[in-house]
Amino acid sequence: MNFRIEMTDGRVLIGVFLCTDRDANVILGACSEYLKSNDGETEEPRVLGLVMVPGRHIVSIKIDDTMDTTSQKYYYEE
Amino acid sequence: MADSDYFYDGDGAMESLPASPEVTYNWVDITSDFFKYIQDLKLGELLHDGHLFGLFEAMSAIEMMDPKMDAGMLCNRGNPKPLNFPQAVACGKLKIDDLEPSELIGIIDATMACIVSWLEGHSLAQTVFTNLYLHQPHSIVNKTLKAYCIAVYKLLDCIRDCINKALVFEEEDFLPMSYGYRLGSNPQMGSTYDASLEVSEQKCIAMLREQEEDLNKKARSFDDDDANNLWLALAARIRFTRMIYQALLVITKRDSQSGADCVALLNGCSEMMKIIIKTAGKGTQPVENSDSPNPMGFEPMINQRLLPPTFPRYTRIKPRAEALQYFDELVTRLRHAWKITSCTNFHTALDFFMDFSRQRSCILSRSALQLLYLSPSPASTASSAMAAPGQPRPHHPFVEILRESIKSFVNPPALTPKSPAGCTPQARELVENFLVRCVRPFAVLLQVCGHNRARQRDKLALLLDEFAALQEEAESVDALVGGGVVGGTGAGRSCFGTWLLYHVLRVMIAYLLAGLELELYSVHEYHYIFWYLYEFLYGWLVSALGRAEALSGEAAPRDTKRGARRHKKRARPHAREGLMCQVLQNMCGGYYKALVAFKLQGKIRQPACAFDSEAVRYKHRFAPLYENPVILYLGGCKHFQQARTVLETITTPDQEVTDLLKVAKTNFVVLKLLAGGHKRDSTAPPEFDFSVHRHFPIIKLV
Repeated sequence: MNFRIEMTDGRVLIGVFLCTDRDANVILGACSEYLKSNDGETEEPRVLGLVMVPGRHIVSIKIDDTMDTTSQKYYYEE
Repeated sequence: MADSDYFYDGDGAMESLPASPEVTYNWVDITSDFFKYIQDLKLGELLHDGHLFGLFEAMSAIEMMDPKMDAGMLCNRGNPKPLNFPQAVACGKLKIDDLEPSELIGIIDATMACIVSWLEGHSLAQTVFTNLYLHQPHSIVNKTLKAYCIAVYKLLDCIRDCINKALVFEEEDFLPMSYGYRLGSNPQMGSTYDASLEVSEQKCIAMLREQEEDLNKKARSFDDDDANNLWLALAARIRFTRMIYQALLVITKRDSQSGADCVALLNGCSEMMKIIIKTAGKGTQPVENSDSPNPMGFEPMINQRLLPPTFPRYTRIKPRAEALQYFDELVTRLRHAWKITSCTNFHTALDFFMDFSRQRSCILSRSALQLLYLSPSPASTASSAMAAPGQPRPHHPFVEILRESIKSFVNPPALTPKSPAGCTPQARELVENFLVRCVRPFAVLLQVCGHNRARQRDKLALLLDEFAALQEEAESVDALVGGGVVGGTGAGRSCFGTWLLYHVLRVMIAYLLAGLELELYSVHEYHYIFWYLYEFLYGWLVSALGRAEALSGEAAPRDTKRGARRHKKRARPHAREGLMCQVLQNMCGGYYKALVAFKLQGKIRQPACAFDSEAVRYKHRFAPLYENPVILYLGGCKHFQQARTVLETITTPDQEVTDLLKVAKTNFVVLKLLAGGHKRDSTAPPEFDFSVHRHFPIIKLV
């Protein structure tokens, strides 16, 4: 499931949600970093891979709604 | 973190709405739900999505917003986005025309500082390519700067080529990655490769020459002394760039068309460096407390987003004065390395390599030395040494070097053109095969000498394995071609063996001494390190040298009278080396005895024996010298062979003798097979078959 996390310094991380705990420390896999764009232009992301975002630096979390349900099911059953 | 691996299969907060087949994301904000529901987790409890993730992965994640791990934080700090070339030109921060000579000197000196930082192991993106001028050199109007920037590209290419060819670098020495920077295509510009922007070596050199002349003309047209100095200082920098580029081209591409005399070029570089260092203050200087190496033209952060997601390595560009000093010394080192081209003898060359390494030379000069001695390089010689079976033997110039080395060291009759031993085709074939087999280990030995000091020790240990296999071959060559010599003393003539032993001993000694240099041994271990050097290695080396002298002397007197006179002149070619060995042997003996005495008097702190065992330490220290199954198999083989030879002398063999003979013969063959690598990777234990003899089993491999 894709997560889009905005951090306190304005950067946006998009990656696959892997793990969290009660302090909202989130681990994302295959993560890419997007810089805050003031003028709306989308910049090339920087590939980061596996990252841990400390809960205290999270401003907002969004999930991607376009996920195909069948593949999601398969993911869980495996 | 907790060890309770609790799998949470998602509740309302995690379930997504029915999917719509869109390519773009459809983000749904879950911030408040997310923060609400995670409160249900216990302290330390982890919520996993799926089963593909464990604690191990959790540990290897990069922690965001941690300045030590998060390279992206740096680009974001303060947030004035670094300007790229066109932006900086547009807003007037970057002059591409009408530059003052002092500005040009500042840019060139700062670029040199960046090159030095790169050569010290930093990434190209964070050093040289923070220079914005290098992003679009063809857009620069100022001809001097344009020529210089293009030349820097060519120079970087040449340096990288040299280092890559020599293959003596490790990740701590040098980063070969160029992050897509190429003349004619640059990642910052997002431009694709444009071949028309490539510049040939000749063109580049011609451009620099033209600038040199122009600048010298300008220098002459100004009467004012100070200004005069500035143009001349600039001309010296351009001239230096051209000459170091040409010199490196000669070193890297031995067939290069630049057709110049490398020594003259390097001497010229040294001359220019004197002027450059003297005039370093004439250029614009970096602003104090700034990360930028020059006020204009450099953006330390410009490539931050090109860096891999590893821990950010903050790159501090070498201060200018130190960088220029580095270049000056680099030229001196290259001039010294050039002297290898006059080392005709392999032994002298090897000594030169070892000596060069001891001076802790930089990666570029170490690489240059490799390329100067063997073309294309020892590394490629080593990797191409082995011909595929059935193919004709590959011919290497290195074979001739080794042949000369053996000739001058022990002068074996088999290598003398008119000797009876060298005549039979079989003997000749054997010797040639041996020489070809020597190519790889000896080329690797030269390559190892090129590596940085800290890496050499492990590589020497690996090399000992290869030498061990070679030792066996040397002995069989000696047995076949050494024995039948007229006037030879039979078993005593082990020419090839002596030559090889000499080198093996040197490698062993280098291995043990490297441990001292790298401070790997604890003081209470010193006594056996020195004992071993004193008692064995140096002693053996002295006797190997003595034997070599005897062997080469033995062959000489058979020459004509003139030959005998020559023999007298070079009476003891290894005298000096032998003496040095004796000196070192005595030094080691001195340490050894002193250390044992210290130990007896309780002057050296010993580790608590419960946690330590000298036997374990000893084994560990000497492992590569001993723990070589091939050597042991061969040793065992010899014993069985010896037993067999003695048994065969018994004229009337009884059953006991016949049985033993059978056992010895079989075991000899089995060990020989094992030494040759038969079933090397099998872990099945051998069987001991007592059916032939009650005490002495036949070793069987299953």
